[in-house]
Amino acid sequence: MGGQACVFYGAAEFSRDTDFSILSDQQNLQSLREALADLQAVNIALPPFEPHFLLRGHAIHFRCQRADVRDMRIDVMAKMRGVDDFAALWERRTTVNDGSLQFEVMSLPDLVNAKKTQRDKDWPMIRRLVDTDYLSQRSDATARQIQFWFRELRSPLLLVELAARATPDAATLNSRRSTLLAAVAGDLAQVEAELQKEESAERAADRLYWEPLRAELQELRRQRLSSRGPET
Amino acid sequence: MVQPEDLYEPEWVAWFKLTPLQRMAESAKLWDFYLQMGGQLDPDPDPQSPFFFPEDIRPGPPNGRPGLRILRRGGV
Repeated sequence: MGGQACVFYGAAEFSRDTDFSILSDQQNLQSLREALADLQAVNIALPPFEPHFLLRGHAIHFRCQRADVRDMRIDVMAKMRGVDDFAALWERRTTVNDGSLQFEVMSLPDLVNAKKTQRDKDWPMIRRLVDTDYLSQRSDATARQIQFWFRELRSPLLLVELAARATPDAATLNSRRSTLLAAVAGDLAQVEAELQKEESAERAADRLYWEPLRAELQELRRQRLSSRGPET
Repeated sequence: MVQPEDLYEPEWVAWFKLTPLQRMAESAKLWDFYLQMGGQLDPDPDPQSPFFFPEDIRPGPPNGRPGLRILRRGGV
């Protein structure tokens, strides 16, 4: 769902870890444990690999030790802010077959939602992902794609172009009213200002979402340090 | 109609025009090169990540290679 998915959909991220969105049920976690054992992957950092941490939204971090994948990092998550549950993600996934391997990639709309974080680097990524989709598909678009672009385009020029060619449905308009009204009016400066406001609001929401999770991590770190006792 | 060149540098436009599988193949080549050059697989510390705790940072070897030393740093 991370850097590799971004490359697939047209952005480019030189990500050195591999991120997986997973179903956190007993059977799947057993399969995951077996796959991680095959890669000789060890849980690094906190939290430990326990289902309740996954269900609360933590990421679990691993480092592989098998010779052919030595030091490769793997992060798994079962819940992300603003992203649907795994069943819906799985239903909408893209299946890729490169001739030798088949793998499942999160759908573009879900990937875009997953990227709405507090980090600077995710926002140009979202813009490139949606721009690529729009620029390559706009001549033969479905109604669903058009509404997706109305919801997610972050290049003022493209949003204004889209608004001149199509109309957002009521739900989409409500989800992004100020930005889309500025786009319909062709007011590029106002669209840019509204996009900045959207980004700031999402980043603030992401920081708020992570506050209790970071507090949990801090407590786990404190417990780990105190269980080690004083260093000699 | 807005053209990709109106928004992006030529390198980006060329990247966009690849198929998804071509992009993955190009990315894999970059990976191979990176690893051949001794690139490390640990992600760089990301101070904006919710998983980042500054006290976890330990200085590592430049470019992940123990034989490399920084002799001079350019100013910014």
